[in-house]
Amino acid sequence: MKFHWFAEVTYPHLTMEQMKHHHTWVDAPWELADPIAVGETYRMFIRLMQQADRDGFDGLAVNEHHQTSFAMTPSPNLLAASLAGSTENAAILVIGDSLALYNPPTRVAEELAYLDCLSGGRVIAGFVFGTPMDSTFCYGTPPVELRDRFHEARELILRSWEAEEPFAFNGDYNKLRYVNPWPRPVQSPRPPVWVPGSGSVETWDLVIDENYCYGHLSFSGLRSAKPLVDGFWEYVDERGGDTNPNRMAFTQICCVSETDEQAERDYAEAVNYFYTRQNTRPAFATPPGYRSPKSIEHDINLRGASRLSNEDRMRAARGEMGFWEYDEKGYIIAGSPERVRQRIRELATELRIGQLIPTLHMGNLSEETASKNTQLFGSQVIPYLRDLWADLPDDWTPKVSQERVAAHAPQVAGAVAGN
Amino acid sequence: MALTTQEFGESRVRVWIAGSGPDLLFLHGYEQHPGDASFLHRLAEHHTVYAPEHPGYGESTGFESLRDIIDLALRYRQLVESWGIESVDVIGHCLGGMIAAEFAATSPHLVRRLVLVDAWGLWRDDQQPADPFVLTEDELAQAKWHDPATAPNPEPSIFQPDPSRPHAAMLTRGQNLGVAGKFMWPIPDRGLRRRLPFVKAQTLVVHGESDGLIPAVYAEEFQQLIPDAEVARLPAAGHLPMIEREDDFIDTVEAFLIR
Repeated sequence: MKFHWFAEVTYPHLTMEQMKHHHTWVDAPWELADPIAVGETYRMFIRLMQQADRDGFDGLAVNEHHQTSFAMTPSPNLLAASLAGSTENAAILVIGDSLALYNPPTRVAEELAYLDCLSGGRVIAGFVFGTPMDSTFCYGTPPVELRDRFHEARELILRSWEAEEPFAFNGDYNKLRYVNPWPRPVQSPRPPVWVPGSGSVETWDLVIDENYCYGHLSFSGLRSAKPLVDGFWEYVDERGGDTNPNRMAFTQICCVSETDEQAERDYAEAVNYFYTRQNTRPAFATPPGYRSPKSIEHDINLRGASRLSNEDRMRAARGEMGFWEYDEKGYIIAGSPERVRQRIRELATELRIGQLIPTLHMGNLSEETASKNTQLFGSQVIPYLRDLWADLPDDWTPKVSQERVAAHAPQVAGAVAGN
Repeated sequence: MALTTQEFGESRVRVWIAGSGPDLLFLHGYEQHPGDASFLHRLAEHHTVYAPEHPGYGESTGFESLRDIIDLALRYRQLVESWGIESVDVIGHCLGGMIAAEFAATSPHLVRRLVLVDAWGLWRDDQQPADPFVLTEDELAQAKWHDPATAPNPEPSIFQPDPSRPHAAMLTRGQNLGVAGKFMWPIPDRGLRRRLPFVKAQTLVVHGESDGLIPAVYAEEFQQLIPDAEVARLPAAGHLPMIEREDDFIDTVEAFLIR
């Protein structure tokens, strides 16, 4: 299986006192943040991801959010550009561009092609609907139009990458007389496409029809995800889609230290920060029309089967869980390298995950500890899990990054399944 | 009197029809069709009332083929013509007021008199309406009613609970508001200001003085933009004066329509 280094670029200096008075998404007051500290945070993440490239990770994942202290990455392509020109091996996993928000969407075709050229063919094109907060409130898209706009943009982008001649595009939302992006991607016919979702049946149909990599990107772990991910695989099977685990991505907060005890000392505060410095008005998370009634009903039925209670979700969000309870309930996977790799093996096997997106910095973690996490994960965890799904083809990561990572990544002599 | 379902082109529309007398079209607000509401029966005492459910709301279809609010206004032209009506009085409440104004601007030959009730469609930076899509249930009740304590519960609605579908009320409301978002999100301004001067019908702009969603000054804003318009502010009424002050509403509207 493969591992893509990721972290939310969270503002690290919010106090609990501030959290009592403010929300952190859409209408978060900018006065809470210091632009100089934001810049230092950006530079830290670039350094950490450059290290991850050297430490044997398969990909470096960047994402898009707006008007929030939780993830200060309004354009994932900007962070990706910092990495594409300064790394050698790992895939540049843009997961992803919120297609409905780019006007015209050929901007995405151009910027991803730029990144693919700059990185020598290492880009993964993640296309996202965007969270309700981002797409419908910060960027004002009527929720009921979001999917239409996304699909029109997706068709335009894919066609523009492959068209041999300039073409006219007369869409409902985009009118372009001469579509002819420069540059075009190195990868032919195009970079792999990933589309994350939150359980919408319509998204499942899309990734099955187009054989994209699907992503379940949450920070609630195995227990919470189990019914949704199981539901996805059953649906893929029913529809005769490709059940190869390499077409499934999953995020997981991981906290690796020399020992289990050291892990608690290293990460407890940062994990608490990560979960307690998110505070979004409920209305901003559930705009009417964002999800179809069919998907909402489907979701209600699936969540009824969740192994994580609503009370646990509330307690997790309020920071009322201790470090090891977060671990036990699946929100985080923490401990010594031996413990972490064993639990990831269980997770990846139980959910059939081929593309893990380990979140190795969280909240207000120091650079020093995040660097240790990255180093230990790269050298003591990844090599022991390479055997998982290795017999199955992976058409969802760039060939260039596959070859370069295989040639440069740390090897473990005699690493055996189950270690 | 009956709630009927009418096949209309490729789509299906539920229409509440009752009464006799001059034809009257009622267009409902952003939340829902009011169903078998008392004020509709009162109007039906002197008019033949047609109250269709908007495309995409409840069990009415045809929303997918609408690109913008002009498409919707023209849909209503087709619907009225399908009833064989050559001239109609129109009452539009809330989102229905925005649609009714577009209808009157784009089909002036069809609209005899126009009544706009607490209508969306205009925007002033210095008098910003509430964002109806983020209010909590309590906040919405405070904004909607002059006196939430005496508001009808349940509110008149076309929606009928079905014990076998426990989530149906929540799903239908989400569906309805999703459709409203097409015309009202994120700002309920689709250029109506530029088209109001094309309204030929004599117009009455009714506004509940305590409307917490749309400030009452918008009544004068409509009046200034429509060539022949007058304002009736109803005291002790919120966003739904036809429900909260039914007698005042009926008296005011009937006095205007029979003039």
